[in-house]
This record gives sequence, C-alpha cells and structure tokens, in this order.
Amino acid sequence: MGGVNYVSRRRAALQPEEPDEESWEELVPLPPSCPLAGTAAGSWGGREAPGAMLGKGAGGSGAKPAKPSFVSYVSPEEIHKKEPIEKEVNLHLLPGELLLCEANTVLKCVQEDGSNRGACGKLICTNFKIAFLGDESASDDNEPEFKNKIIGENDITLHCIDHIYGVYDEKKKSLSGQLKKYPEKLIIHCKDLRVFHFCLRYTKEEEVKRIVSGIVHHSQTPKLLKRLFLFSYATAVPTNTDIQNQTVMFDAIKDWRVELERTKGNMKYKVLSANEAYKVSEKLPLYFVVPMSLSEESILQYQGRGIPIWCWSCHNGASLLKMSAFPKEQEDNTLQMHKIFLDGVYKTINKPPYEVLKTDDLSSSLPSLQDIQAAYTRFKQLFLIDNSTDFWDTDVKWFSLLESTNWLEIVRRCLKKAIEVAEYLEGQNTNVLLVEENASDLCCVISSLVQVMMDSHYRTKFGFQSLIQKEWVMGGHCFLDRCNHLRQNDKEEAPVFLLFLDCVWQLVQQYPPAFEFTETYLTVLSDSLYIPIFSTFFFNSQHQKDTNTSGEGHSAQSSHFRFLTVWDWSVQFESKAQVLLNNPLYVEKPKLDKSQRKTTRFKHQRQLSLPLTQTKSSPKRGFFREETDHFIKNILGKRISKLINSSDELHNNFTEFYDSWHCKPVDFHGLLLPHIDGPGIKVWAQRYLRWIPEAQLLGGGTVATATKILDMIEEVQSLQKKMDEKHSLTVPQGRESLPMLRNSARLSSLFPFALLQRHSLKPVLPTSTWKDLEDEDDLAKRDDEFVDLSEVI
Amino acid sequence: MLSGSKNSFKIQQHKPGPALRGPKSSDMNSGRNRNCQAFPCIPGEHVLEAAAHVRKIVRSRDGEGSILGTLYCTNLRVAFVPEPAPGDTVGAPRCSTCLHSEHDVALPCIGRLVAVNSVTKAKVLTASSTLKFIPEELVLYCRDFRVLRFRFRDSGLEPRACQVTLAIVQAQESSSASAGKWYDTGAIRNLENAWLSTEESSSSPPTLLFERPCDWEKELRRLGAAGWRVSPVNERFDMATSLPKYLWVPSRLLDNELKRAFGHFNARRIPRLCWHHPGGSDLLRAAGFHADSDPEKEDVRSVEALMLAGHAQCVIVETAADLPSPAEIQLSYLKLRALCLPDSSVADEKWLSALEGTRWLEHVRACVRKACEVAALLAERSRSIMLQGRVSRSLLWPRHRLDALRLGQVCESDDRDLNCLLASLVQVLWDPHARTQSGFQSLLQKEWVVAGHPFLQRLNLLRDNDREESPVFLLFLDCVWQLLQQFPASFEFTETYLVALHDSSYIPFFSTFLFNCQWERDRRNQHRASNQIYAPVNGWREPPPLEILQKGGRLAKERGGPYLPTIWDWALRYTTQQRAQFRNPAYARGSGSTTVPNGKSAPLGGDKLEAALSGNGTMYLFAKGALSPQTHLFPWKNGSLSKKGWRRAQSSESLSEQDRSLRSSPSGCPLQSEGLLLPASVGPLIRLWRRCYLRGSQEVQRGLFASTLAELAEELDLLRERLGD
Repeated sequence: MGGVNYVSRRRAALQPEEPDEESWEELVPLPPSCPLAGTAAGSWGGREAPGAMLGKGAGGSGAKPAKPSFVSYVSPEEIHKKEPIEKEVNLHLLPGELLLCEANTVLKCVQEDGSNRGACGKLICTNFKIAFLGDESASDDNEPEFKNKIIGENDITLHCIDHIYGVYDEKKKSLSGQLKKYPEKLIIHCKDLRVFHFCLRYTKEEEVKRIVSGIVHHSQTPKLLKRLFLFSYATAVPTNTDIQNQTVMFDAIKDWRVELERTKGNMKYKVLSANEAYKVSEKLPLYFVVPMSLSEESILQYQGRGIPIWCWSCHNGASLLKMSAFPKEQEDNTLQMHKIFLDGVYKTINKPPYEVLKTDDLSSSLPSLQDIQAAYTRFKQLFLIDNSTDFWDTDVKWFSLLESTNWLEIVRRCLKKAIEVAEYLEGQNTNVLLVEENASDLCCVISSLVQVMMDSHYRTKFGFQSLIQKEWVMGGHCFLDRCNHLRQNDKEEAPVFLLFLDCVWQLVQQYPPAFEFTETYLTVLSDSLYIPIFSTFFFNSQHQKDTNTSGEGHSAQSSHFRFLTVWDWSVQFESKAQVLLNNPLYVEKPKLDKSQRKTTRFKHQRQLSLPLTQTKSSPKRGFFREETDHFIKNILGKRISKLINSSDELHNNFTEFYDSWHCKPVDFHGLLLPHIDGPGIKVWAQRYLRWIPEAQLLGGGTVATATKILDMIEEVQSLQKKMDEKHSLTVPQGRESLPMLRNSARLSSLFPFALLQRHSLKPVLPTSTWKDLEDEDDLAKRDDEFVDLSEVI
Repeated sequence: MLSGSKNSFKIQQHKPGPALRGPKSSDMNSGRNRNCQAFPCIPGEHVLEAAAHVRKIVRSRDGEGSILGTLYCTNLRVAFVPEPAPGDTVGAPRCSTCLHSEHDVALPCIGRLVAVNSVTKAKVLTASSTLKFIPEELVLYCRDFRVLRFRFRDSGLEPRACQVTLAIVQAQESSSASAGKWYDTGAIRNLENAWLSTEESSSSPPTLLFERPCDWEKELRRLGAAGWRVSPVNERFDMATSLPKYLWVPSRLLDNELKRAFGHFNARRIPRLCWHHPGGSDLLRAAGFHADSDPEKEDVRSVEALMLAGHAQCVIVETAADLPSPAEIQLSYLKLRALCLPDSSVADEKWLSALEGTRWLEHVRACVRKACEVAALLAERSRSIMLQGRVSRSLLWPRHRLDALRLGQVCESDDRDLNCLLASLVQVLWDPHARTQSGFQSLLQKEWVVAGHPFLQRLNLLRDNDREESPVFLLFLDCVWQLLQQFPASFEFTETYLVALHDSSYIPFFSTFLFNCQWERDRRNQHRASNQIYAPVNGWREPPPLEILQKGGRLAKERGGPYLPTIWDWALRYTTQQRAQFRNPAYARGSGSTTVPNGKSAPLGGDKLEAALSGNGTMYLFAKGALSPQTHLFPWKNGSLSKKGWRRAQSSESLSEQDRSLRSSPSGCPLQSEGLLLPASVGPLIRLWRRCYLRGSQEVQRGLFASTLAELAEELDLLRERLGD
C-alpha cells in the first residue's frame, strides 16, 4: 500500500506540469531520455484515481484544473455541472486511466435491423479507451457471463481503433488530422472488427468538437512509446504479484536449457549468454541458442547477422534454424566478405554431427509484408459492415470477393511452406535454415507453425504460449511496428501475427481434438493484441522493453515497472469464463509409452491395407513419367497433377509426404499436417463474423453441441469417479463446469461474443413488411396507389 | 422363376442355381465358382462376370489402404465382396445387408468408367469402345459423387481383368433398357420377404408412408389441425393422377364442392394442407391456377374456401419467383459434380470462385432464405399460406411466358418440384418432429413421395430422358444439411444419414424413388400382382382390392402399399453399426420430438367461422420478398384489374431487406418460437457439403469433431454398463 500512497502523492506534486504534456494541440515531443516522461505519464492516476477524482470533482478541488488542455474549449463551470451525477454510476477507470474528454446525449445506433434504433448516453475518451456509457444502466440482470473485465461491451481501446469516419450529409469521410467541420455521425471501425455508430446530432456543438477532435487526435496521431497507456498502468498498479504461470517466458538462460533438453537438441546446440547486455545485438534476446561448433567471434562479427539461431529440434535430430540475412549491399567488397563469412558458417554446420542443411529464403518464397497487409486490408473490409445493405450487396458475390482478397491464399501458402519444412525435417532428416532480413516476421510464422505441427507440446495451452514467447516475443517480432500501435509509420504495418493465428486456427478447426485450446482462445488472443495493459505485444524487441522499463540503460533496479503479460488470463476473464478457452475434447497425451502405442495401432491398420510402399509409390512413379497424359494425372488427384507440371523433385517429395501422411490415421500427438486444398482453407468465422447479426444463429452453431459435450464429460467423470471408488483408486480431478452454457436454453452461435450484443438475442420475426398491411382501412388507399403507379408504367 | 419357396426365403442363404448365372458361367474356373456362390444375389440378379483377388482402394478415417476381394458384375450392379480376413471383421458386415454396401454401385449410378494401365493408358470406356490393353486399375465415377477404384494388378489374372471390365461396360450400357423392367419380374416378392425378415429386427418408430388414410388421420391428429379432415376424394386417382389418394381439406368443405375446385388448377392439383402451425396458421400447397379457369363460375367460391381455409387472410407464396428452375438446378449440379470430382483441374486458389461459378450454393441459399420467409409468415398471425408453384400469369405477361417456353424453362409440373422442397423445408424449420428420423421420413413421404415429385424423371434413374433430369431432391437434402450444420444439436439424425439418403436416391431397387407419382407406384404393383393394367383413359375401372389380389394378403394388410421395399428399410442396405451412425449423439432431445403442437391451444375462434361463411377473405401475394394485396382471385380475368393487378408492392425492395427485417425485428412476436430454427442464409454460413460432394477427392472429410462426440457417447455407455455389473 505504501506504493500507492507514494504514487498519489507524487501525482499531486506533478499535476501542475501535466496539462502541457497531455495537450494535443501543442504536442511537444519529449525526448525519450526525459526522466519525467515515463513516470509522469504513468503517475497520472493512482489506484484510487477514479474514485478520488470523482469525489473531489464535486468539490472542485485541485483535481479539476488538471484536466488536459482542452479545457480551453469549455468553461470550467460546465464540467462541474455535469460530471458528478452521471459519472459516478457508470464510469470505471483503470488505474492510471484518465478521462480526457466526453460528450453527452450521444446516440449509439444499432444498425442490425435496418431501423436505426439507438441508445442514448455519454461518449468518453480516456488515455486508454473510448467508451460509451448508456443512460439505461446496462448492468442489470442481463449481465453477460463471458465478460472481459478490461474491455467492456462498449469500450474500444485506442489501439483497437482501425478507422474513424465522419458522416457529413449522408456522406462518409475518413477523419484524420485537423478537422474543419465536425460530422453529425461518427463511425468507428475497430481492429477486432466491431463497428460503432455514434450519432452526434443531439450533442452540443462544443462537445462534438471536443470529443471528435479528441478521439481523432488520441487514436490517429503518432505517439511516443513512453506515452503508451502501458506505462501509466504499470506505474499505477502496485507491483504486487509474482504471477504463477506455467508459460515459459524464455527470459532466463534456464528456460532455454530446459527447452534444449526437452527437444534433445542439447547435444549439438548451446545456449549463449554473450548478448547479456545486448553487446551482440539489440534485436536478439538476452539468451539464444546456436550450434555448438560456432565460435564466439563469428557471432560478434556482424551483430548476430549471418548466424544460424536454433529454433527447435526434431526427434530425429534435425533442427529448425533461423538467420537474419545481411542487408543487400552495393559494395562488392562487403558482399564478398559476407559471402566468405556465410560459407564458413555453412561449412561448420554442414559437418557431422549436424545433418545436411537446407536454406530457405522466406522473403523470396513467401508473399511480402506489403502483400500481406494489402490482402488483409481487403479481407477485413468484407466484415467491417456499416449497414446491412452493404452486407447483402457483398453477400451475393461472397466467394469470389473472398478469393479476390487473396488472404486465404496467403494462409495456404504459409501452411504449405510449413509442411515443406516439416517434410525436410521429418522426411529427409535435413536441417532447415529459414532466412529473412531480420528473421522476425515470416520466420516467426513459419518456425512456430512448424513447431505447432510437429510438436504436440505446443498444442497445449501453456506450450502454445511458451512458443509465442520463444519465437515471437523473444524472437524479436516488431509487434509495435507491425500493429502500428504508435501510428508512427503506416508502411511498417502488417498483420503477421494475425496471419499466424489464422494458420493455427485452420489447424484447430481441422483437428480439434489435437489442441488443448479452442478457437475462442485464439480469438481472445487476437483481441489482446490491442489491449495496452499487457507488455507482451507492445514492444519491438526484448531490448526495447528492457531499456524502457528501467529508464536509462540497464541497471539493478530493473523491476521498476512490473508489466502484466497477456498469459495471465485472469486479468481479463473470470475463471468461469476461462473455461471457454479450454477444449473439452482435447485428447490428452496418454501416459503409456508412445512407441508401444504406435505399433499397436499400425498393426491393426496393416491388416486392412497393403504396405504403403507397394500400393502407393510404385504405380505413382509410373504415372509421373507419363506427363503428357492429362487424364492419368487427374486420377491421382488434382493437386498432384498440378505439381507434376513443375516437374520438380522437390515437389514430388512434398506431395508424397503430404499424401502419405494423409493416408495414415491421424495421431493427435504426432505430426499434424493441415489440408491445404481449396475447400480445406476456411474463413475464421468466429473472429470475423462474430459481430454480424446476420450471421447469428439462435440455438445453433458449435455452442449447441458444446453443452451436450460438457454434460457427457461430466457424466463420464462422475461415473469414472464411482468406478474408482469401487476400486479405491485416486479420484481424478473434475473439470470446472460451465454454468453459463446451462443457464440459457438457447444460445446464439456467436456465443460467447454474441452475448455482448444483447438485442440480437431476441426472437426475430418479421413485422416491418406487415405493419402497413395490417390496417385493413389502409388497403383501399394502397390499392389506388398501385393503380396509379402501374398506369405510369 | 426362383428356387426356394417364397415364405422361407432368406437372402443370406440364397444360392442361385446354375441357370441363373450368366452365359459365361460354364467356363468359370472352380475358384470363381466358389466366389459366385458366395455372392448374395438379390432376386432377379445374376452374375455376369467376376474377378477374384482384386484390390479396392479405400480411404477411410484411418487412412488409405486397400481391401482384397472379388469384383462382381451382375445385371444390376457392380459389387465387390471383400475376402474375410482371419480375425478381421471387415467382411462380416457385408453379410447382413443384401442390397447395398459401400462397395457396391448400381449400374444406373455409374457415371463414367475409366480403365487405367499404369504405364501408358487411361481410357474412358463406352459400350462401343474396345479395350486394347490390360487394365491395371478400374475407376468408377459414380453419380452420387463416389469414386470407386479397383486394382487388378496383384491379382495375377489379367484376362479376367479384361473380361470383367468389358462386362461392366456392357452391363452398364444395357442397364438403362433393362433396369426399367427388372422390377416387373416376380422376383420382387422375394425381395419383399427379405424385407420382412429384416424388418422384424428393426425397432425404430414407424415411418408414416401416407398410403393409407389412417396415416393421414394420425398425422392430422398430431398436428392438432382442428378444422381439417382427410378426404378420400382422390382415392382412385380419378381427380388427379399426380396427387396422393388422400388429401387434407377444410372440414367444412364437402367432397362435392371440393371436386369443383380441381379444374381450376394446373394438373388438377388443388390447395391442400401441408402443415398446421400451433398458432393457428396453415401451410397449404397447390399448383398454379389453370389458364382456362373461369372466375365467373360458381366454383370459385370453393376455390376460395380452399385457399382461405377458414382464415381471414391468405398469402399466396409464389414458389418459382425466387427459386431456381429445375433446369437451372440441373445445370449447377452438373457443374458442381465436375468441380468436385478428383480430376477437376481447378487450382486451389481459384477454388472459391469456381464454387461460386457453379451457383449451387446460391440456389441453396435462395431456398433456405425463402423457407425462412415462409416460416416467419406462418408465425406472424393466424392465416393461411399457400405455396403456389407458379402463379399463372400467362395472360399477364404472354411474352414472358413464350420466352420461358422457348428456353425450356417452364416445367409443366409445378407444385411437384420446388413446392415439395419449400413445404418440407418450412416444416423442418418449424416442427421438431420433422427433425427426428422417423418424422423426417414421414415428411418426405408426405411432401415428396406421395405428393408426386417426379423422382424417376428428376433423378433420371433409367437414363431415358436427360432433359427432365434435375436433382431437386438433392438440393433439398443440401438445404437440410445446411440446417444440420448450423444447428447441430437440433436434429436426431446425422450427416451420415443424409449422405445415406443422398446415395439411396441412385439405387433403383426401391419404390420410393422409382416412380413419378403415387398412382404409378400403385399401378405398377397392381400390374405386377394381377397382370392387369389400369389405364385412366376414359374413366376408371374399379380396382380390385389389393388384399384379394395378393396371395400373401398379410403383407398388404400390414403395409397397405406397394411390394417394392421403400428406402426407409435401412436394414436392407446398412448394417447395425452403420445405422448407429445415423443417430446424432449431440441431439438435444429436450427441444424436440416429444412436444407435439397441441391443437386445443390453437386460437380457432368464431372469426374463423365467420370468414369461412362469408368467404370474404383478403388475399396477398408474396413474391421476391415483398407482399402485395390482391383483391381478386383471378385478376387477369377481371378487365379492370388485369392491367394493374399483381403489381408488386415493393418490387424495388431487395430481397435482402426483407430478410433483414425477418431476422432482426426488435419487437419479437409473442410466439413461442421454441422449436423454430431460423437459419442464416448469408454467404459465409452457407457451406459446401464436403462429406457428400468431395468423397471422391483425395482429401476426405473426416468429420473428426462429430466422431469424437460419438466416441464420448460410446465411452459413456461403456462406463454405465460396467457400473451396472
């Protein structure tokens, strides 16, 4: 508690300086080294900030003048009049969160039924979010049970805002920069694909000006890293908990050693601590793993470039490596030196005990980041729907529109690349070295996909989280730039992580029993990308995080801030809601010996079938020779025929690997290859369709069966318990039940997300067409109208 | 014709005598003889050719493999009998079903036959083609999307491979001629007996066949439709040959009055009840108005009474308006089949647009959406809703009509295609009973089989008329599948069941899909039994009671219907294990079958009577998602209205808007919508029925999710059992 007191005291002391800092009119960029920057921004609200501010607000004490400089728009009296009464009911601010501006009598339009219904309320903008507070208290009996504790139904974090549009005389215009004219309606497209309509027609003009420019400013203008809400929050929240988390963070040398041991890579690879003070490179994590035979000098020579860095080892010893390529040099001399260096490196790791090395330059074999960004921009447009008419317009040509976005094709190519890599590792016993400029974008996608596919450990929840820590967070994926959290450079933006999640989703939906987590987990994880209270997705590298955490340099008091990680799901969800993130049908890894189990399964299989070598490969080779005959190729399937045309040994290997895997029974704890044919790649419906009322099914969707599954699991468990009691064995721990699935008779297919849209859960039946016709008296009149009209025609 | 007395016949024990074998039976070697005897022919079937030690390539959930067995070509089908491996149960299920297995394909179902030689050649085989090489592999592309591959390579009997291949080709070619007649043989009775023997073991609730009045009575009672009665007016098919024998008509209307209405409708298909909503609304179906019907006649009153059915309001839903024509359905079905066969050369990245190009899903979507609209109309208030195949506007838009005729788009059998689809789909949406297996089968009997959907023409089983082919029924199955995947817990049956039903439609051994209407079905059976032909040319002769005609009168009493088995006798074709997969483990019984709408609660009040008496009802026309009032029943006859009538109220209003209003009206009706399913018909949610259409492809849909649930259920049963011990 002492910490809190300290913070609030400091806040009082700092307040006079604040207004200038928070002003968006005269934004003075502070040098990052400014000692106040981090602490000042962060110390704005202590834990009691909301209560304290509100309480004092009525009294008009020193807290009020501290309002940021938009005070200039409005006389202080006005604020005093309104605030105390309304805010006390609804507004919940997080520690460190500050109310920046607000507007009353804003109408939130609900577009779902074509008739513009709306709820009246207050629109506020804080340094964390935009929130709409309805007048009718939403928190009555209908409180959704799957609720995000941080982000409410009507909350949009500033980082979640994708685009803001203003409607001027029925015309939609994108809002940015300085506004000359203020719109009558505000449309906000969110990155989690929600669409909000705020009608400002009944709002006072000054308030409109204030809120619109406030929202536009705080969400659209470039920001400094230190101004992230992350820091305010971290300062305001007492550094209390040591999070007990089974997720391996890979920020300690021990984590890497354990990982090496787990994958049996420790014979050929070693953990380096050479980068401990970021002496080697700021892009690399503190600890990383390299081939044992690599000398320390060569690592230091080019700041870690040209060095194969270990990702993962396959059970047969083949390893997945990654490498940052050298920047494209003009000078022959440097080029030559690089080449010599690389040759040396390759020579080292091509020798025994290492396996043969295959390098794959991802920047040439996969779409560029620009392509990915462009495809996603087109793709998400299909789901960001301003009104139903738009939706139905696109609906007619749904499939071709979907195809033209090219997003699913990119997903397919990534999965295909991952299968190729898996084939080298598993099928050909070859090391694979992924090369990319910084080894932190597509490298992350492919290497983590390969690991999810090949290592069942990464299909558990904690394993998956550890994987993201290892490959993405420590691997130096530039989350800050790729998500464009700071709005500093639109060109750097690319949804690489989302692409990865989409690829994983394809696997999850094709093999649900193989994953401990559900698609809901992935959806929630993708949303967490925009919640700036977790440090996980708000830094470009470990180095950036470390330097910004501890102010100047790397020092002893590095625990100045304690950031939350996204892996602590209890921050966002109650435990009963967290149940939804776990797959009840996950087939847990059996305790008995793996090899033993395999043989029994295959034995049974053999009785039905011929050995694969005979039935499969021999006739196929025969077919391949005859390339001219279109028909024969087709008999073996379209995919093969397509690949024959390239007549590439590589592709033959790939196809054979892919086909023969799909011919075998699926082992949920072994290698998992996704279907990548045309019909196999699907749209991640839960993430992309969840806010669209038209796509909602009352009493339908997978939720409908989920209840049944949970019931059955419960019964199985209780029976098992009974049996165990009979045999006096230990009682297995029961799963937590899901009361919310039981309570309501009919859930929507969009559950858990649809619960946030309560209106759509009412039974839907037509009235509008009929209303006019109900009146019998009206009929005669109508009939006359028809006469006129038809005669005109 | 057959050895073995009729009553003692058991299919499993059947050993066809040498006379039954094909001409080549004499030069069969001993090994083949044994195999032939092992093959359980159905009556009237004989083996033309056989080849032992053939490998059938199978892809199952457990991966690809092959099964060793014997390939038979008979005069009816191509069959494969796996060799029972010691200690293996693969061969066992085959014994318990006689008519169909996953290894069999009926000759009419073969779409294309390809012989492959591994080194050089692949050839599409037709009757005229000669085989110049020894085939190593035979690929059968079936019309039901299956692809069967048989490999001769390891058999060591190359000449056999040639012979069996050619035999299949010949048999297939001649099947179109012979298959149409095969059911005339007396052998069918034995099939019947086989059916009886299997029927005893089945314990599922009975499917109402709607061939006897008691079925109609029973169903009417279940619906609780108080103002309705079963009319035997068409018992001898003398009112309309394509209509069922019994009709549900308003109680107040006497048969005499009823008879006057027939002439006013195309094909004399008058409005009759399909389903009664517990809230009071009635769903009716009828053909379009006959062009020559004269509104000045007094008959119009009975037509009106039929349509209003005692309600104050009648909405005429124009089925053909928003739905594809049978010709369009056929066109997209062909495209879809081409796309889904493994040799389609569509690149993966172009798959989606190719799928869109087939327009199949567009048609599915249109049907689902239209059904939603009608379902919503039913609930809105107490009224009668009449599905009218094609509202005859011949005099309104003669040019249209001519164009349509020229293009061959006009199907003269309106009310026999899309009305079947729509009527049954609406009932699936509303009635939980229709989502149980027996309820669904009864529904199909009522709305398709006895209602006169021309299955024979539409499925083109005999391959005699390609022009009329149109898989309207398969489109319906696809729609039901869409509902099933959107509401996985609301159906008692599974996707497997629907696939089985889909496959069954190409097996010509069953009365269900072999005839164009009930009259044909009955006539065929009578003809076979008594060698008497009833031609409804100039009036009707008195048909002798079936009971007398049939020696085994017991049969007829029990079934009251045709001799040929119906496809609902699943035990004939599917083993117990297979049939177990028809049951949906996720089915939430609570929301389902037991809650039968109670007729007593229906608000059938005095206003209904009044309206019926006065006959002053209001008519609306519902088409293109919009509604327009209509003051005259036959507007084109009324001079003053002919020009202006039938204008659509909001024709500019798009379908989508209508649908939107359907889906999300805020002031929900005070109806209990417990049983109602409101499916989404938006693009992303209408999906391809992969398990059915992509069966031939390399990537088989495995349905892992469903099967894990099934496994869970299995585990549960096992545990219960063990605890019970």
